[in-house]
This record gives sequence, structure tokens and C-alpha cells, in this order.
Amino acid sequence: MASVTIKNVKKNYGNLEVVHGINLKIEDGAFVVLLGPSGCGKSTLLRMIAGLESVTGGDIEIEGKRVNDVHPKDRNIAMVFQNYALYAHMKVRDNMSFSLLLAKRPQNEIDEKVKWAAKILNLEPYLDRYPRELSGGQRQRVAMGRAIVRNPAVFLFDEPLSNLDAKLRVQMRTEIKELHERLKTTTVYVTHDQIEAMTMADKIVILRDGYIEQEGSPLDVYDHPANLFVAEFIGSPSMNLLKGEVITEGVRLAEGTVLALPKSHKAKLGQKVVYGIRPEHLKPGKGTAAKINVIEPTGPEMHIYADMGGQEVCSITSERVHLARGADLQLAPQLDRVHLFDAETGKVIA
Amino acid sequence: MEQSLPVRILRDIAAVFVTALFMFPILWWALASIKPISAMFDKDRVVFFDFVPTLINYGVTLLGMSRSQLAIDAGLGMGVAGTEAYDSRRAIFDSVIVAIGSTTITMMLAVFAAYALSRMAFKGREGFLNWVLGQRFMPPIAILIPLVAIYKTVGMRDTDNLIMGYIGLMMIYALMNLPIAVLLMKSFFDDVPKDVDEAAMIDGATRWQTFRKIVVPMVRGGVAASAVLCFIFAWTEFLLSLFLTTDIRTVPVKIQTFVTSTGNEWGFISALGTAAAIPSFIFILLVQRHLVRGLTLGSLKE
Ligand SMILES: Nc1ncnc2c1ncn2[C@@H]1O[C@H](COP(=O)(O)OP(=O)(O)OP(=O)(O)O)[C@@H](O)[C@H]1O
Ligand SMILES: [Mg+2]
Repeated sequence: MASVTIKNVKKNYGNLEVVHGINLKIEDGAFVVLLGPSGCGKSTLLRMIAGLESVTGGDIEIEGKRVNDVHPKDRNIAMVFQNYALYAHMKVRDNMSFSLLLAKRPQNEIDEKVKWAAKILNLEPYLDRYPRELSGGQRQRVAMGRAIVRNPAVFLFDEPLSNLDAKLRVQMRTEIKELHERLKTTTVYVTHDQIEAMTMADKIVILRDGYIEQEGSPLDVYDHPANLFVAEFIGSPSMNLLKGEVITEGVRLAEGTVLALPKSHKAKLGQKVVYGIRPEHLKPGKGTAAKINVIEPTGPEMHIYADMGGQEVCSITSERVHLARGADLQLAPQLDRVHLFDAETGKVIA
Repeated sequence: MEQSLPVRILRDIAAVFVTALFMFPILWWALASIKPISAMFDKDRVVFFDFVPTLINYGVTLLGMSRSQLAIDAGLGMGVAGTEAYDSRRAIFDSVIVAIGSTTITMMLAVFAAYALSRMAFKGREGFLNWVLGQRFMPPIAILIPLVAIYKTVGMRDTDNLIMGYIGLMMIYALMNLPIAVLLMKSFFDDVPKDVDEAAMIDGATRWQTFRKIVVPMVRGGVAASAVLCFIFAWTEFLLSLFLTTDIRTVPVKIQTFVTSTGNEWGFISALGTAAAIPSFIFILLVQRHLVRGLTLGSLKE
């Protein structure tokens, strides 16, 4: 177990800087998810922690020790790769014991560790199979087994579930979470799937173009997005973001279309803003007029897509709504859930 | 892609036709090797299957039987011309030594070179690949005369030193095979994700351990396939073997000596030729799967 500290870390590929001075503290035993769109530098950051990529600037510390120039095998980390990276010519048992064998551990200890890992991961019946004889989920578990037998200080995961089908992904998500609950090993987990991030993380770090946009607990970033990027990225369907201008009655989206604002807010009159409201906080009721585009029933909920002052909004309600396309309705925002962003900077107005 | 019935039938007919076209000469050759002379040289008709098969040609070339003795035993009297120069056991032995030796040298170098080309970034890597390919543009005959001079100067030709003869041929075959072996092996290494190397590195393996215990075992099939290609090249090569050594005669050169001033010994030629094709045939069957993969999938990259 260990903490990981990232101090002003930069990464260049040639003249191109892809990670721009990141600062991050990962507490001992925490499950931290690096979340961001493709190409934002998540993998690069993770691989720098692993030692697979050199650090151009700044420091990485594991257990308080600077590891910039330490070989991956001496960093006491284990990594699970997106494509599992199993040793195809070795049986499951040998895949898991490889690192212990290299470390010259006694045979009885190796057997014990492998047995222990196989038990935790439900791999006992498969120890004498080759990776090609396993299903995707089982391979994923072997990759995890290979990581846990070494009892590392830090687990690193790079999109470990993206090769699995949807159902298995949900199941493995829970398994990884349970594994973490059980072992309490500091974990850094990379994904571009915000649901994965929300469900698994103690702390989410949202990256964009090599910068940290926001970090915090899942509910914290969900409830208090610091800027438009985070607001849009977290949540599905994503938050309604409507451009408008602050007037006395609220935010005017278009002539005659005004969304109400809470009594006290920090925006100035006449300021150009983006009005953010999550679909579940925008419900049919006495409020702002809109025209229905589509209604998608999901079972427990109805997703209503409507046109409000020329901009599309989504509203989620558990009521059964029976309205046709083009029908008029009114949507009312829950005022204590309104987010106001500056239209120019994209930052939240607080 | 699902094809319509007429298209499938047409395709199958074409496949059978092409295969037959290529197979027929080989089958005819094999058939000739077990024909008695009377069937081979029937002046009235083409003999297909109505003859009494004989293994005489194999007996003489592969087992070193004396043809004149065989003729006498068969009650043919002394009418058959014959020296004992058709015993090819020594040629087969030489060919095996040279082919296996050159294949071993080639693969040892190729596996290391290909791993470096596949995994390490270094200056001139792209250029090196093109240079490797460029080697293939040059026909051997273009370098034959200088080679003969070189071999003579360094004492690998026209000496009575058998070892030098072997080494000389192994070296030139390794040289000829190296480019294609490197390219093939590189494509097999490229198929192994780099993550595997990195996983091994994190597991605590050194670069050498990663190479020896992880990556090379994962491309075993590729090594076998490339080795077979090298073996077959060395096994069938004629020109260089003919010119670069006088001490040893490989099988192709030996066969050519069966074309004599008094006539062509078709029976022996076809028997030795057929026998020589068998090892290649078996090896190819064994590694076919990897060979197809290596030659198509891999070579499409870069
Ligand atoms: N070897 C390299 N040479 C040059 N640029 C690179 C290299 N590796 C990555 N990059 C660039 O660095 C940036 C970050 O890449 P990275 O792999 O970290 O993205 P990512 O966030 O993991 O994306 P994804 O979700 O697609 O895996 C990208 O813009 C990428 O083009
Ligand atoms: Mg990535």
C-alpha cells in the first residue's frame, strides 16, 4: 500500500507536449479513476506512473520516494492492460507465477500465492488452461491474477474492460471494485467510460488535452461540475446546456423563452451565460414552454426531447407522458439544481 | 461474403484447374521415377499407368546399388551402360549439412535482427528495412563472378578442405536468406502486442528474459515457418552451389551430372528429384498455417 504523488508532471513526444504539468495526490488505498475523452493523455500519465514512459518534466513519487528513474519492476506496481497482454504460450498458472519465479521466490510460496489469487478470482478450474482456451472475462481475471500475486503497492489499470461485452463489463466492474474493497491496494484506473468512473471511483480525475479539468468524488463532480466540459462529460443523458442572457426574471434563451433562476445567484444582469440543468431536474410542470421532438420510454423513465427557444433540451420523468411530436408542454427546472456557467470562459459562476 | 452458387462452382473449377496445372508435372515426374525404361521411352504411345513399377532408380540413387549388377541379376546381360557415379548418398548428406547449417545461421541472426527492428527505435531503422528488401532485387548471377573470385581468394573454393566447402555454402545461403527471414520474422514479432513486453518488464523480466522467455516462444510458429523457407531455398539452390565449391556436390548439382554425354538418365533424375521434393513437402505441410499468415497478414504492414 502506498500513496502516489504527481508533481507538475509533463510529457513531450518530440516537440509536442501532450501532458502539461499535472499535479495529483493519490491517497494510500484510494481508487482513483482517470477519466477523459480519447487522446487526452490518460494512458500516457498512467504509463509514466508505471515507468513505461519517460517523464519529461516534474516528479512522480510512490511511497514518498521519487521514482522518475526507477525501472518498472522496482516500482512495486502491477499493471493490467486493455488487451490483457497475457503470455499466450504459458498456462494460466505460469502466467500468474512468472513474476514470482523471476523474483526467485521459493516454490511453496509461489504455489500458495497462485492458489490464493485463483481462489479470489474464481480461476481455480482454469489453472491448467492456456489463455486461448478462456473467455474474455476469464482472460481479464488472469491478467488481474498476474497483478495481485505480487502484492504490489499500486495497481494500474488501462481501460481493462473495454474489450468485453456490455453485460460482462458490468459484472467485472463489480468484481474489480470488490477486489479493491478486499485488498485495499492503491489503484489508478483509466477509462473513458463515465459510468465506470462514477460507479468505481473514490476520486475521479477528469482530464482534457493533457490538463486536469476537475477532480473530486463522483457525486461531487456530478453535482458541482467546475466547467462546461465536465458538465457535459459526466452524466448520461448529459446535462442540458442552454445559451442565454441573464435578465431580471431569469435566463432568456430567446425572445419570450425564459428559464427561471434561483433567488440568489452570482451572475450579473445582462451577462451571457450557459444555463445548465440535468434532465432529471427538468420536469414537466408549470415553467418554460417547449415543443416535443421525441419521447423515448426506457421503462422506468420517459426521456422527453423537446425544443425550447430553438435549443434542444432533454427531460427525464418517471410519470407516463403521452404526447405526440409537436405537442406543446411546459418544463420546470428544479431551482436548487441549476448550474450557471460563464459563456465566455466556460467556468461555473459561483 | 456469401457468393452465389454459379460463382462458387466457377471458383472451385478454377481452383481445381490451377492446382492440377501445377501438380501435373510433379506427379508425372514421380510417375516417371518408378517406370521401367521401356515404359518411359515407348515410341508408340504415352504410358500412363500400364507398366510394372520398379524401384531400381531409387535403389541406385538412394541406396547406392550398382546398376550393372542389378541389370545382370535381372537377366539383362551386360547390355546396360553404367558407371557407379549415380550413388547420391554423399550428395544428400552434403545437402542436409549445408541446408541445416545455413538455416541455423540465418535464423539465429534473423530472430535477433527482427526483434530489434520490431521493438527498438533507432536511427536508420526504416532505411535498414528498405536496404534489407533491396537485397532481394539483385539476382544471384549478377554477383556470381566476384563471389567466385572472393571465395577462391579466401580459400573456400578449390581446396581439399571439406569444412571450408561447407562453411562457404552455408555463408552464402545465409546471406541470401537473411533479408527475407528478417522481414518475415519482423512481421511475426509485430503481431505480438508491445503490451506483452511491457507486462513482462513490469513482472520483473530483463530485456533478454522478455525476449527469450516470452516473445520468442510466442512466435515459435513463425520461427518454424521462416526456417522452412530458408531450408527449402538452400535445399534447392543450384547456381551458387555449382560455382562456389568444388569439394561438395549438393543434390541439385548432383542431379545435373546425370545429364551425360551418352544420354540423360531420366530414371535417376526423376527418382532423385522426387525424393528431394519430399522433405520440402513435409515441412511445408507442417508450417503451412504460419506461412500463410506470415506472408500475407504480416507483410501488409509497413
Ligand atoms: N508514441 C507517441 N508519439 C507521439 N504522440 C503520442 C505517442 N503516444 C501518444 N501520443 C499522443 O499523446 C496524446 C495522449 O495519448 P494517450 O494514449 O495518453 O491518450 P488516451 O487518453 O489514453 O486516449 P485513449 O482513450 O484513446 O486511449 C495523444 O494525442 C496521442 O496522439
Ligand atoms: Mg489509452
